Order: sequence, then structure tokens, then C-alpha cells
Amino acid sequence: MSKIMVPLGPQHPALEEPESFNLLLEGERVAASQVCIGYNHRGMEKAAESRTYLQNVYLLERICGICSHSHSTCYVQTVEDLAGVEVPQRALYIRALIGELERIHSHMLWLGIAGHEIGFMTLFMYAWKDREIVMDILEMLTGNRINYGMNTLGGVRRDVTPEMADKIREAVGQLQERTEYYSRVILGEETVYLRLSGVGKLSKADALRFDTTGPVLRASGVGRDVRRDDPNGIYPNLDFQVITDDHEDVYGRTVVRVKELLESYKIIRQILDQLPDGPLTVKVPNRIPAGECISRYEAPRGEDIHYTRSNGTDKPDRVKVRAPTLANSAAIAHMLDGGYLADVPIVIAAIDPCFSCTDRMVRVTDANSGQAQSMDWESLRRYSAQWYRKQGMDFSRIPLR
Amino acid sequence: MALDLFYIVIFPGFLFLGAISLVFEYIDRKLYARLQNRIGPRWYQPLADIIKLLTKETIIPKEADRRFFAAVPMVALAATTAAFLYVPIWSSRSLMPFASDLIVVLYFLTIPTLCFFLAGWFSSSLFAQIGGVRALTQLFAYEVPLYMALLAPALLAGTWSISGITAFYHQHPIYLLLNIPAFCICIISAQGKLERVPFDIPDAETEIVGGTFTEYSGRLLALFKMTLNSEMVVVAALIAAIFIPVFVQSAILNFLLFLVKVFVIVFVLALMRASFARFRIDQMISFCWKVLAPISLAQILVDIIVRGIILK
Amino acid sequence: MENEVLQKIAERFPSVAAEQAVVKHHRIYLSVPNELLVEALSFCYEELNFRHLCTITGLDNGKEYELLYHISKDDGLLLTLKRTAPYQEPVVIPTVLSIYQGATFYERELEGLLGIKVEGLPEGRQYPLPDNWPQGEYPLRKSWKPKQAGGAGQEASV
Repeated sequence: MSKIMVPLGPQHPALEEPESFNLLLEGERVAASQVCIGYNHRGMEKAAESRTYLQNVYLLERICGICSHSHSTCYVQTVEDLAGVEVPQRALYIRALIGELERIHSHMLWLGIAGHEIGFMTLFMYAWKDREIVMDILEMLTGNRINYGMNTLGGVRRDVTPEMADKIREAVGQLQERTEYYSRVILGEETVYLRLSGVGKLSKADALRFDTTGPVLRASGVGRDVRRDDPNGIYPNLDFQVITDDHEDVYGRTVVRVKELLESYKIIRQILDQLPDGPLTVKVPNRIPAGECISRYEAPRGEDIHYTRSNGTDKPDRVKVRAPTLANSAAIAHMLDGGYLADVPIVIAAIDPCFSCTDRMVRVTDANSGQAQSMDWESLRRYSAQWYRKQGMDFSRIPLR
Repeated sequence: MALDLFYIVIFPGFLFLGAISLVFEYIDRKLYARLQNRIGPRWYQPLADIIKLLTKETIIPKEADRRFFAAVPMVALAATTAAFLYVPIWSSRSLMPFASDLIVVLYFLTIPTLCFFLAGWFSSSLFAQIGGVRALTQLFAYEVPLYMALLAPALLAGTWSISGITAFYHQHPIYLLLNIPAFCICIISAQGKLERVPFDIPDAETEIVGGTFTEYSGRLLALFKMTLNSEMVVVAALIAAIFIPVFVQSAILNFLLFLVKVFVIVFVLALMRASFARFRIDQMISFCWKVLAPISLAQILVDIIVRGIILK
Repeated sequence: MENEVLQKIAERFPSVAAEQAVVKHHRIYLSVPNELLVEALSFCYEELNFRHLCTITGLDNGKEYELLYHISKDDGLLLTLKRTAPYQEPVVIPTVLSIYQGATFYERELEGLLGIKVEGLPEGRQYPLPDNWPQGEYPLRKSWKPKQAGGAGQEASV
């Protein structure tokens, strides 16, 4: 049979961010594949060298739209370690709380994407609707749906009030109910099982050989989780399980993520129960003594690594970031080879590559007066309607349902 | 002559089929949306979509064969419309019934699928060609069980004409129960015919972008969309005529009954679309050949035996 | 735990200045002589069970290039082995792919951003800079300055 080369990407409906895969097809089967990444390189590591430590917290938070808190937490851990400050317990608890909420939001999002990739749009719609619950909680706690801006050097910027804690408990209850429904219905659905099992096989030995991390590694039966192995913050005080699965395929990765959702609910309840009183931040000096530090954090997608080298000034000498997706990229080609073209999207999606989202709050600056004002969704909508009415277009009579 | 033109262009031909297919597209989309926890489109959305596509520029790729590229959607729509003329709507008889119109309808219904393949092929685009080959591969898988399941009731009735079949089951309604497996097979393979989840493999967007229709835009894409919509109505109407042959005396009541029957089938199709994931092409083929084909074969055998023994 | 590992490395490689290592909780930062690095990594992988390569950091400290190999084992210990490479074109280091097969992208990154040639790395598209990035431009070198903010890749030159 003749072989054809099919480009998948850099722009393709199955990909949420630019990356490119060249697939050599033999009929419907993938004979060979080539992974090309790097389309999203924004030179952040270089940019970090010319910014202060504090500015970098917010720069590095923008590496990824979904695991933003993971990146900023991982980075502040290195700086706090270099500065030798002791972060207050309450701040550590709040950090972990946001981190787990972020994991829930990321895994929910992934579940929807997985549905989309296998043509199961109902799952996509359901998962993303339920994801709104955790997005609302994150917005209540931090003011943002993503890029929370919660971390600062030496602590966190916002507190969690008892009323908020009650709302989180309620939301977690709802989410738990929904997740149990998914694990019962979705994981038992025959067509889903047919599409996911045996797809994107990655044996335990291969998973270790390619240095994969996160749910990809745990679905191949290796229980490696930074939260347990090399815990930072308050994770040693918490009781949770590291989920592993022996399917070694996309189905296993789905099972791991759904079960990790349930673990996250458990962790959040413990955090809320244990939340100690105390200050939110300690002072961190502007100039950080010379030294180096590497820190690890279990992001939703796997082990996130930040390395910071300081030289005694207020700017770092080198910041190195290793996002989990990079670690998992090396294994993609191996998982694609010999599979079907139809399985390519879900195999790629199963490592959960990152992409960015948009924000609902906008900051509008008037170019003439230089005045800035914050607008919420409603007032922005009103503003837009008025603006268009001036242009002769009146949409205000269309009732919003 | 004038009357023939009226039949072909207005009722029950092109315009009527176009209008009713938009209505059922709306119903299908709305049901699908409600099943997914969404609000869904307004009633005029399908029409708005078609109008929007008609006003857009049609881009024909340089590499493509211009004449074939433009002709294929028209042939597809014409074939579907022609098939509709032989399906009963307001009485147990269609507009122009003749001895073996069932075969002709099935034949007409194959043409759109072949057109999808040709469209993909003449696009000279990688994704469209893969989509076209998939459409053809899929055709060989669902066509056999679909035809056998539609022919089984005809064998039992002893006629190839749709009016004859409906008349037979009107007299012997008890035999309808015998054909329930064939009805289920028809509904399942109709999803393949209409290229909908779980058999929307030829235009699986996450794998091969738009599949067959990747290069189509504007008016030509609108024609394809109309073909798919009308195909759904024609297939549903055909299944309704053969498996639910309930007719009364009044033509208007019959017409309402027709709408209800098509609605029921569209509802089942939407339910299926909402509750399954897409199959892989190899899984789809083995499912059609290993599960659907043997069942429909058994159905035919049962019908022949019943016909030979009881109805002798 | 940390000291035990350090001691084993010192026993195996007497020329490693183990007493200069920086040891913290779960962390060891250790410099190794350049020619011993691959052997040391191999020893850590085989004998000390450091099965996971976290990443490779390449940096320019103003005097020379430093290459940091962060490897970890399942009890949470993270060992950083350092080697250096002088400012001397061409800068060539050997690959560690024979030990850690997940290192492809990390080593390609060294080639792309620091201009360090990794010997033994299979041919492939450069990462993470675009294909039309000019030859000989390595952003992470301290001597490299972006020509002007917002400039396209082609225009950036020293």
C-alpha cells in the first residue's frame, strides 16, 4: 500500500495550541510519526533574567493558562528557599487549596477535551458545565478564573474567609457527586471503552525509559507523585492516595484522572478542616543572596520543575522551567506509531498538553485621560450595546436567555 | 407538464423537501442540544445558516477539477430529492408508485454517498481524500445490513413496491412485530448513511479537519448541507413508511402522522448521537459485518420461512 | 540519606570534590569533572537508582557555560550534577541519551538556546526556536542582546 504524509498541525481542529505532528500513513495506520514542538516559545526564560524576582512571579504565572498556579508556586518556592524565609502555615494551606482546585479544573477540562477528540460531544458539554462550578469558586477566591495572581514572594495575597470555606465545601460536594456519576457512566460506556482501551499503549518500562510524568506515568503503573515523594508545603500533613492504574493506555489515563479528582476533593476537605490562623505573608528582601535552588511541584499534568540561580542582586541570573508537557512529549511518537489515524488526536490529548484561556474581567484604559476602570461582564455588555446603538445597531431588544 | 414541474420543484419536490428538512434539522439540533445541557438554536437558525452560506464566496481550489467539484453537490442534492418523490407522504401511496420503487429509492440514496467520495477525491486535498476514502469504506460496511434490513419486510410482503408493502402490513399488522430487529438495524445503519455520531468517521473533525467537505465553501457547501438534511428526512420517511405503516383515510391527518413518524425517528437518531462516542473505522466495519449483517441475514431467513410456511 | 549518596559517589570517583557539595533537605548540588560526567550519571543510574532525569539546565554564568543534570530517585532525593564548558567555539559535550532516553528535547534545547553542540544527538528539527531563526544566534548566552523589542526573529542579531 502506498504511504502518504499527513501534516497534523500547526493549526488543526484537534489541537488547542500550535504544535505539529507529521504522520506517515499506511492506509489508516500510522507507520511513523515526527513530533515538532516549539511554536509557543516566547523567550520567558530570557525575559526573566531582566525582571525582578517579584515581577517574575507574575511573568512565570503566564507560562500556562491552566497550570498557572503550579508554575508560580514552583517558582516562589525556589526564591523563598534562596532567601531563607519561613512561609506562614496559613499561606501554605491556601496555596495548596488553590493548587488542588486548579487540578480539578484542569482534569475536568481534560475530560471534556477527551470527549471532543473521540467525537463524544455530550461528555464535552457535561464536563465543561460542571467545570464552571470550580471556576466560580476560583473566581470567588482569587478574583480570576485563570492566572490567579494568588502567590507572592513569602505567602499569598488573599485570604480565605469562613463563608468562602463553606461555599467551597458545598461546591466540592456537588463536584464529587458529578465525578462519581462520570466514573460510573462514562468509564462503563461501551463505545468509550472501545475507543480508549488499547490505544496509545505505553508499557511501564517505556514510561520510565522516556521519563514521562504525571497521569501518563501513573496510568502505566508507576506511583510517582511529587506530592508524596518530595512533598513541599503542607502535603506531608495530608492524607491522600497516589492513584495508579495498570491499563497502560488512554483508558488508564482517563481512569487515573477521574480518580485523582476524587482524591483532590478529599484533600480540599482536609485543608479546610486544618486551615490554621496566622499571617498571610512574610517579608522577603528585594535582593536575594547568591545561590541556587531547584524545586518540584506536582502540576495537574505532572512534575513541574523550576530552577533559579541568584547572584545577589534583585534579578535572577537564570530561571529554568521544565513544564510537564515537555517531559511527556518524548513519548508521543512512541505512542502514535502503529496506531490508527483516528486515535492520533486522543493519544496526543491524553498527555494533556497545555493551552491558554481568556479572562472574563477586562481592564479598560481610556487612551485620552489615562484613567483605568474595571468593568464586569454586565457593564461591558451594556457598554458594548450602547456603543453599537450609536452606530445604528440596536441589539438590546434581543432577550438573553 | 406544468403539473410535473410543480411536483418536482415545489411539492413534494425540492422546495417542500428543503423546508421540511430545515424543520427537522432544527428539531435534531435542538434535541441534541437539550440532551447535552445546552440551550440550542432558535427555530430559524438552520435557515439562517443556509442563507449565510449562500451569500458567502465559493472558493474552488486551484488543484481541483472545477466542473466536477461544482457538479458533485448538485447531483447529490438532486438524487436525494428524486428519492423523496417515491416515498409516501400523505397516503399509503407515493406520488408516482411503480412496481419496484423501493429498489429505486435505495439506489438514489446511494448516490449522495458516492458524491461525497467523488467530492473528496476531486478536491485534491489530503484531508478531503482521506475523508472520501473513509466515506466509501463506510458505505461498504453499512450498506449491506441496511439493504437487507429494508428488503426483509419486502420479502415478507412479497412485493418490491413501497405502496404494496404498506398495504400488506396494513392488512396484517401482526407481522410488523416480526420486523422489529430489522427496524433496529435500519436505525443504526442510517446513522452511518447520514454520517452522524457514532459513524461520523468521514468528517471526524479532530482527525481529518472537515473530511470530505474540507475544501468546500459557500454555495457548494450549502448544497451539501441541504443534501445531508434532506437525506435524513428521506431515510426517516422511508423507514417510517416500511416499518410504521399506519395510515388513515384523511390526507391531512396522514400528513400529520407522517410528521409525527419522522419526528419519532429523528428523536431516536438524536438520542443516539448524544449518547455515543465516535467509532474507529475498523471497529465500525467489524461491527457492521460481524453483528449487523448476520442479524439482518437471520431476519431475512425468518421472513422467508414465515412467508413460505404461514402465508402460502 | 543525602550524605549516604554523596559518600558512595565519593568512593567511586575519588577525584570528585564531594566535600564541596551543597547539601540541603532532599537536594544535593555536586560539581563533577567534565570528563567524568557521563560515567557519573551512568553510575547514579545503575548503582544508586536515580532513574528519572528531571531536566538539564544550561546556563551562562558570565565566565563559562554550566550544565546541570537534575536526576532524581523515588525516595524524593534530587541530585544535581554539574559540569562546565569553556567559552570556546565550538562548544561540544557528549549526549546522555544512552542513559536517559527522555533527554532528547532537553539536549536539543541546549543546542538551540545556548549553542552547545551535543554530540550523539540524532538529527532533528531545532527546538524551541523557529526554523527561520538565524544561525549563530543563541538567546541564553549573556553576550546576546535582543536588538529591539518587538523585532522579528530574522532581525535579531548581536
